[in-house]
Amino acid sequence: MIRVQPEPWATMVAHAQSTYPNECCGVMLGSIDDDNKVVEVAMNLENAYAGPQNEHYEVRPEDLLMADREARKLGMDVIGIFHSHPDCDAYFSKTDLENSCPWYSFIVLSIQKGTFHHANSWLPNEERTLAAQEPLEY
Amino acid sequence: MAKILIPTPLRQYAEKNNSVDIAASTVGEALASLTTQFPDLRKNLYNDEGKLRSFVNVYVNDEDIRYLQKDATAIADGDTISIVPSIAGGRC
Repeated sequence: MIRVQPEPWATMVAHAQSTYPNECCGVMLGSIDDDNKVVEVAMNLENAYAGPQNEHYEVRPEDLLMADREARKLGMDVIGIFHSHPDCDAYFSKTDLENSCPWYSFIVLSIQKGTFHHANSWLPNEERTLAAQEPLEY
Repeated sequence: MAKILIPTPLRQYAEKNNSVDIAASTVGEALASLTTQFPDLRKNLYNDEGKLRSFVNVYVNDEDIRYLQKDATAIADGDTISIVPSIAGGRC
């Protein structure tokens, strides 16, 4: 289960709405106790995809490195990545799956006509061939 | 000694250490030593051909080793090695 606290959730939704009609991305930091994850900080990142950003996102590894350093400074863990699907549902697409990392939770926010609609969290398997839906609270 | 930072989800395979100090002269030696010490890390970092998995990037301090000498990149006392995944996606 992954629970996003109100402050980071507001950050994530605001980022996803302000970048519409493009996809946004960011990192979630917090704590992990067995399978219970609590997101305490959301860090907005720049979408580094060089092509059409309304249907793709890319996290710069250097930005993820900085986020990991920030997490260590705060005594937190990197829990996962969030990104948005403008005018699409919050499924985990083939492109999402093939370019994911099996180590993290992936929250997808569906933004419909510029406004947050719904979200889901996904856990890719080791081979990145399937993603299981993870219970999400926000 | 160089320090290898272990990403959160991989700490379960490294006796819950968030970093491991390694005596080595190159990145390749350091990672080999790490995965010898913690064999369960190997399948998370390497594919069946013994190469780093496609989404795994390795940094020495702030530099991606792909733009240095890859596995042969020299490391010195006090250097920090980070393991950082590539992540991207898209709605279609």
